[in-house]
Amino acid sequence: MSKRFWQGFLLMLATLLLAAGCSGDSGSSEESNVPADGVATPGGDTLIVGLEAEPTSFDAHQVSDFNSSRAAMELYDQLVRFKDGSTDLEPSLATKWDITDDGLEYVFTLRDDVQFHDGTPFNADAVKFSIDRQIDPAHPFHDTGQFAYADFTFGMVDNVEVLGDYEVKIVLKEPFAPFLSNMAMHSASIVSPTAVEENGNDFTKNPVGTGPYKFVSWTPGVEAVLEKNEEHFRGAPTISKIIFKPIAEAQTRLAELEAGNIHLIVNVPPDDLVRLQDDPKVQLIEEAGMHVWWTAFNTQKEPFNDVKVRQAVNYAVNKEAIIDGLLQGTGELANSPIPPNVWGHNAEVENYPYDPEKAKELLVEAGYENGFEVDYWVPESGSGMQQPQVMAAAIQADLAKVGIKLNIQTFEWGTYLDKVFIPMEESDMDMHQMSWIGDNGDPDNFLYILFSGEQWPAKGFNDSYYNNEEVNELLNKARISPDKAERTAMYEKVQEIIMEEAPWLVLDYEKQIVLTSPNVKNFVLHPTGVFRFSNVTF
Amino acid sequence: MEVSPIFVYIIRRLFGLIPVLFGVTLLVFSIMYLSPGDPAKIILGPKATADSIAKLRTDLGLDEPFLKQYFTWIGNVLTGDWGRSIQLKMEVLPLVMDRFGATLILTITSALFAIVTGVAVGIVSAYKKYSFIDRALMIMILVGFCLPVFWLGILLQIIFGLQLNWLPISGMYSPGGSGFEQLAKHLILPSIALSAGVGAVIARMTRSSMLEVFENDYIRTARSKGLSEKRIVFLHALRNAFIPVITVIGMQIGFLLAGAVLVEKVFSWPGIGTLMIDGILARDFPLVQGIILFVATAYVLVNLIVDILYALLDPRISYK
Repeated sequence: MSKRFWQGFLLMLATLLLAAGCSGDSGSSEESNVPADGVATPGGDTLIVGLEAEPTSFDAHQVSDFNSSRAAMELYDQLVRFKDGSTDLEPSLATKWDITDDGLEYVFTLRDDVQFHDGTPFNADAVKFSIDRQIDPAHPFHDTGQFAYADFTFGMVDNVEVLGDYEVKIVLKEPFAPFLSNMAMHSASIVSPTAVEENGNDFTKNPVGTGPYKFVSWTPGVEAVLEKNEEHFRGAPTISKIIFKPIAEAQTRLAELEAGNIHLIVNVPPDDLVRLQDDPKVQLIEEAGMHVWWTAFNTQKEPFNDVKVRQAVNYAVNKEAIIDGLLQGTGELANSPIPPNVWGHNAEVENYPYDPEKAKELLVEAGYENGFEVDYWVPESGSGMQQPQVMAAAIQADLAKVGIKLNIQTFEWGTYLDKVFIPMEESDMDMHQMSWIGDNGDPDNFLYILFSGEQWPAKGFNDSYYNNEEVNELLNKARISPDKAERTAMYEKVQEIIMEEAPWLVLDYEKQIVLTSPNVKNFVLHPTGVFRFSNVTF
Repeated sequence: MEVSPIFVYIIRRLFGLIPVLFGVTLLVFSIMYLSPGDPAKIILGPKATADSIAKLRTDLGLDEPFLKQYFTWIGNVLTGDWGRSIQLKMEVLPLVMDRFGATLILTITSALFAIVTGVAVGIVSAYKKYSFIDRALMIMILVGFCLPVFWLGILLQIIFGLQLNWLPISGMYSPGGSGFEQLAKHLILPSIALSAGVGAVIARMTRSSMLEVFENDYIRTARSKGLSEKRIVFLHALRNAFIPVITVIGMQIGFLLAGAVLVEKVFSWPGIGTLMIDGILARDFPLVQGIILFVATAYVLVNLIVDILYALLDPRISYK
């Protein structure tokens, strides 16, 4: 081969390397995206979704992560359902319900025209089976799974009684106002008893529900395929087939979407969002989630047992700068520990503005005129944790300006959870990051769990070991009161007290963001984060 | 009865594998046991109550003492019960075998690719030593060796998948698809990414080994006998130059398997690497232990095969 050939070849190689170096911010291509021959182009009736990880289960009762719930939940229905766009409830498999005045008995009237995908009729027995399977250790099919949400959803249930073919009564041990919301959660999905009986442990990969989509196949690592249920009681969905593909690498997911090979992706890197906003090949869909991100202080230990110190830290951190600069607007400034799409959110309370001078004054008042030094625990990553390390670095820099020295300590997520959720006596925590994604859209799910003095770790998730008699009392009253207006008032008061007492530095509510092909229409994100495909056209 | 020494050698080596594998299992089990993070807590998520975590720990046998857990596991493994993946809730052995198939396809293709290009480049380079071609090839080898697999993978995706649209970007088949043609197309980019480093090492080894052989008397003799250059290079030189190359190939298999983990992640290749990373993050003990045991076994077997190949190629090597 001639000298010229090799020289040309080397030149090409060098060009390729250079092109790659620049492609990070100028990767736009105006070429058409007709996929190459042989690369399957799905017909207009197959929607391909790129998830960030493998779903781990298709059994609604075992689902405990977003990848699974997004892929699996269209297979099922629950007795009641969150309305589109909110966590208000509407009838689903139950047409109506009556709650006794003492708040202890819930009688559901069921639809009589529904069948599971395997032909099993849906009835009161199936409802009882679906709940008992999770909560009754003596149930013959209790050992067919690990039910992560059973305690949360049904911990207050005493028993389930079949009153007739289409009538079922759930009796609670004690009144619990958020219970009806729990009945709309994924763990309250109704599964086909015959399918569980036939498949046992393998129900997780042979799932059968009543939902708008039927399960076709699941090849771990490759894809999961669902097809539409023509007989669904709310009407058949438009798209015939949905394929979920796990694509771990964010850049790969994005490239697949831009190449037109898949049509919807989750978790877009914030740095890419800016350039994608004007990209005609993609459609950006965002919606507030039921999310809050915070840094908790150990309120039982110096220096953070002093409310002035906690307030000082709150004043010292430039929250807007973190949200706009680091998170590229993927979060919304929080004003309270519960996001606005959860009812009971108090829009009147305000977060601490950025005011380093005020912070210094408070530190002097608290007797820390020379500042202090504490450890700041930060996870490497974790669900809802956004950009833990860079956010920690920004907070560290802001606090350094008022004389507070943070020693950032980073831990792997599993280790991190072990360190954070331990009893107060064993903990040497000063401050740490945490986030929460709500489950049932009830304020109790945020405020009671995260701030009640009865919820200190390891029992619960009050990770600042916060304890305030007034708050405890309000939270306890609110969770048994049947009157929503009364509950709202109590929760609003709780938020006022908490923002004043500052057991946390509350930062933001992360938005859910997905990118789709431009021709995907009517895809609406739900506050719960579960994907709904029934109305999508494409 | 005369027993062939090679046969005895193979049997001896096979028995020698037992303590090795035993050691591997103990090591793997200890690492997973000692690694921080409670599987029960990870499975149930941060929202689970202390009671349900405690119950799950009992169900999974995690509160048993170390040795008891270990021997229970080994006992089950020997009877073919590799346990159930905590996270994916499926039997470990079929899952691992299934996914290992995909890894094998990728690594074998990459190995062949690396060997063919590596040896070819090495021969050309040695034959044309110190020429422009030699230097150009050496630069290529250097680049191939230095590029991180991860980066090269993304680069190939952007150029050949997204910009030129010639080849698929990720996966083993297009969604809902199958068939050899699709597989072949999906294989090209990940194989190039994976084989670059190994191919470069093989090329360098081939080159220096060939150069050494070219200095030998028998090559000069062959030349003086008037044999064609082709015959000299491929018949006389290559066969003798090949022994150190095979050593390198054997050593590089481990590198390929390790690189496969990264390549699989970048290309969403449904192999064992992705499965293992997910398993480690989820503290999925039965799954990770199963994978490592499987891979370790495959690795020692490959090394055994390489040693046997040696023996067949070079009668001077003794098996005593």
